[in-house]
Amino acid sequence: MAAGSDLHEPGLALHIEDLTVRYGATVALWDIDLDIPPGRLVAIVGPNGSGKSTLLKAVVGLLRPVAGHVRIFGQPISRARSRVAYVHQRAEVDWDFPATVLEVVTMGLYRRIGWLRPVRKTHRRAAMEALAEVGMEAFAERQIGQLSGGQQQRVFIARALIQQADLVLLDEPMAGVDAVSEDIILSLLRNLRDRGKSVVVVHHDLSTVRRRFDWMALLNRRLIAQGEMHDVYTPANLKAAYGGQMAVFADTDAEETAPSERVGGQL
Amino acid sequence: MLVDLLSSQIVRTVMLGAALVGGLSGMIGVFAVLRRQSLLSDTISHAALPGVCLGFLLVGGRDLGAVMGGALFTGMVAAMSVLAIGRLTPLKTDAQLGIVLSVYFAIGVVLLSVIQAMGGGSRVGIATFLFGQAAALSVHDVRILGAVFIVAALFLLTLWKEIKLVTFDPLTAEALGLPVRHIELGLTVLLALTIVAGLQMAGVVLMVAVLIAPAVAARQWVGNLGAMTIVSMLIGAFAGAGGALISATGRGLATGPIVVLLACAVVLISILAAPRRGLVWQALSAQLARRRISGDRVLLAMDRLATDHDNPAYPSEKGMLETMLGRPLPRVMRRLEASGLVRPVAHHPESSPHWVLTQAGRRRAEALRRTGHGPE
Ligand SMILES: Nc1ncnc2c1ncn2[C@@H]1O[C@H](COP(=O)(O)OP(=O)(O)O)[C@@H](O)[C@H]1O
Ligand SMILES: [Mg+2]
Repeated sequence: MAAGSDLHEPGLALHIEDLTVRYGATVALWDIDLDIPPGRLVAIVGPNGSGKSTLLKAVVGLLRPVAGHVRIFGQPISRARSRVAYVHQRAEVDWDFPATVLEVVTMGLYRRIGWLRPVRKTHRRAAMEALAEVGMEAFAERQIGQLSGGQQQRVFIARALIQQADLVLLDEPMAGVDAVSEDIILSLLRNLRDRGKSVVVVHHDLSTVRRRFDWMALLNRRLIAQGEMHDVYTPANLKAAYGGQMAVFADTDAEETAPSERVGGQL
Repeated sequence: MLVDLLSSQIVRTVMLGAALVGGLSGMIGVFAVLRRQSLLSDTISHAALPGVCLGFLLVGGRDLGAVMGGALFTGMVAAMSVLAIGRLTPLKTDAQLGIVLSVYFAIGVVLLSVIQAMGGGSRVGIATFLFGQAAALSVHDVRILGAVFIVAALFLLTLWKEIKLVTFDPLTAEALGLPVRHIELGLTVLLALTIVAGLQMAGVVLMVAVLIAPAVAARQWVGNLGAMTIVSMLIGAFAGAGGALISATGRGLATGPIVVLLACAVVLISILAAPRRGLVWQALSAQLARRRISGDRVLLAMDRLATDHDNPAYPSEKGMLETMLGRPLPRVMRRLEASGLVRPVAHHPESSPHWVLTQAGRRRAEALRRTGHGPE
């Protein structure tokens, strides 16, 4: 927890202090202190149910914390909305909804377009550009229900890109997507970071996290560790976050990664 | 007789009223369906019955304004009861809705019996709210329905893109900073208003079907929200007007069931016949895909034989192919011949049929081999 403690609030992409979030009697997050510097590609990692999605939802104001506060570039979310884009998990919507790919991407502009104003040609052009960035321009007029999982995810990312936010939050963007989409998504996220944006990604796969991200927060209801990847990705920290579930992860890693990347090999 | 009916001013008024109710239900039903509120709709409509009775008792007769006011009141109280039960108990949503629906409906039936036991002129009208009677609609009622229709349409038009986003993806809407709670509340109030406006025509028991069926049918035909809303509105208006007309031909025939049967007939046709999503279309395209695959398998088998014999023009024998693929092939071979992928050849001295791959057939087989879309 030492890594970020010397930073000051306005200079931070994300500053979270004493954050506690509850669903009824379930405490999903307990006393989280997290400081994310700008311009980094950050992974939020933790076992299932460790509160990763809850953390992002609390950051964008979808959940009201029982204690603590969140600042985005020094401001509360209510004043930072135009600087933040949030991509929730793919399964949160019904993909049978009657809409085209282009229509969904323009939704990212609905607030900027404003009340009573229709979607115009310039907005559609911006949406086409965002679609081109994710390699989906050929699908603009396609029904969203006809897309594969990876393509759905890319459409959601295009909808976030179009918002031109400085802080982009994504919940498991690479879960259940094909290899092509995964590569495209990863290089997009790196590209965003290289342009100075701050990118925070909930990542489900321990075996790939070290290669793909440069900063990490380990979560399990409490914050276990945060900081530069090479400081945080240690057997002791991973064990503290995953506990007994470690064995499961080491097994699945064996099929997917080179031996040097294996968590099992590290422990 | 139909001409007589249509020329009657009363029948025309009733049909207009029923078309308004059907159109309104079709329009708002789209959002009830997409937001998964059909059970909530059913609960609101059943819970409107005690309100109908209260309205009756208050003004001492059937006045659509009073009845709608009472129905809206108890319908909304029921919706809030569902919310409260959700907060205070661990019951699942369907159980919450089921309980609230039954309790309010039971109260309504008790009140209904009380009113009927009181006798007098009023008791004739009230039972029609169970299954609906469009014939009871007056010119005054039709004006009220028209006003509700216009309010609903204006609400949708002014907040169209915000409503679309809230319906598709409320999380993102909220993250963008849209007032999601208020828009959802607006939609739910509109839903309740639509339900109570439809009670006289469709009745509390079947109102939910008038709301849901047109939207379900419309979804089969179109792929965007605006078109879905318009098509659903037209289907609802058709079912409403048609149901009113048919029930006008038979004495005392309740309107609700007829409207519902008409709307469900449209649903059935849509589920069967709609392009892409319809069952017939899907069965046909599955059949086409199967044919293509079996054709591809033959091409690959012939390609393999040609490779094994180091002869691109190797004549494959019928029995050999059938053995390799494990089934008889006459129709597949005829289709492949017709599309110019294989050519029948004689292979002296054998008399059984033989085929060779044509140039096009070789190209396709090679493409199949490379992309891996083939057997095994
Ligand atoms: N809407 C909800 N109501 C009640 N409990 C919830 C809700 N959403 C999440 N939880 C609980 O909160 C905890 C954290 O959930 P979540 O943030 O989704 O975890 P993660 O994304 O890390 O898998 C889990 O125990 C989960 O069961
Ligand atoms: Mg999650």
